[in-house]
Amino acid sequence: MSSEHHASSPGKPHRVEGPKNHYLAYVVSILLTMLAFAAVIYGGLDKSFLIAFLVVLGIVQAVFQLAVWMHMKERGHTFPIIGLAFGFVIALTAVIAALYWMWW
Amino acid sequence: MANAHHAAGALPAEPEKATLEGKNKLLGFWLFLGGEMVLFGTLFATYLTLRHGTAGGVSAEHLFKLETVGWSTFILLTSSLTSVFAMIAMHRHQLKALLGWLAVTVLLGLSFLGLEIYEFVEYVHEGHTFSANAFATSFYTLVGFHGAHVAFGVLWITLLILQGLKKGLTVVTAPKFYVASLYWHFIDVVWVFIFTVVYLMGKVG
Repeated sequence: MSSEHHASSPGKPHRVEGPKNHYLAYVVSILLTMLAFAAVIYGGLDKSFLIAFLVVLGIVQAVFQLAVWMHMKERGHTFPIIGLAFGFVIALTAVIAALYWMWW
Repeated sequence: MANAHHAAGALPAEPEKATLEGKNKLLGFWLFLGGEMVLFGTLFATYLTLRHGTAGGVSAEHLFKLETVGWSTFILLTSSLTSVFAMIAMHRHQLKALLGWLAVTVLLGLSFLGLEIYEFVEYVHEGHTFSANAFATSFYTLVGFHGAHVAFGVLWITLLILQGLKKGLTVVTAPKFYVASLYWHFIDVVWVFIFTVVYLMGKVG
């Protein structure tokens, strides 16, 4: 990812963004989604492993979409990242607290 | 430098970030999305807490049809891609392509909503009504809130298309288009967690 940033020579003006990375994000999202559905439909996997696997696939897809489609990997996104991370921490706290309250 | 360009009538490369107002709008919208994350996080927490509370009613395992959910996911994912195309067109200063891709996004959003309504009607016929049990209530609240976001996005982007037809692409309208596309992507990100946590984990049991 970082090599991509240094690839354009500094003398060039702002390059017009092409759709290549966005197609890649689309294909990755489709593949991750199909993998998740297939794991549930065909897999005879252990239940707790399957749930962990599904959550990881979901998080990977979400991060991919945030980084590429919502341009978060680009420069000047420090405050958006802090804002979203803050929201995510509170959301995650709510989820974990609720599960803890129910299960233990 | 940017002002000289404006005087000549040319748009800067990234018109959504060309003015301080535009930049502030983007930052403000990101913070709003952080708040949205908390909203959906608490709804997810509620659903996860109550999802086994069927009170003798139909359970998630027997209720959900993964085929419908798969199509919904595909449609929403594709609409996210078309809103990316709209932003690429905007950066190339192509107003027609921008509005055209936004229109495609709206149509895909409407088909997603149609599928969701069809799905809910089917569930109600199976006795899975809003007040049937705790599972049903938390399910409709979470998924319905997401559906309401889609409906709002459809309305919002439709109005933006109309405004785009009237006012064109300027440093004033560009941040509005950009922010709407961020919103649309966020809806798709939330859906990723809904199909994972609600539908797939519901099938697992």
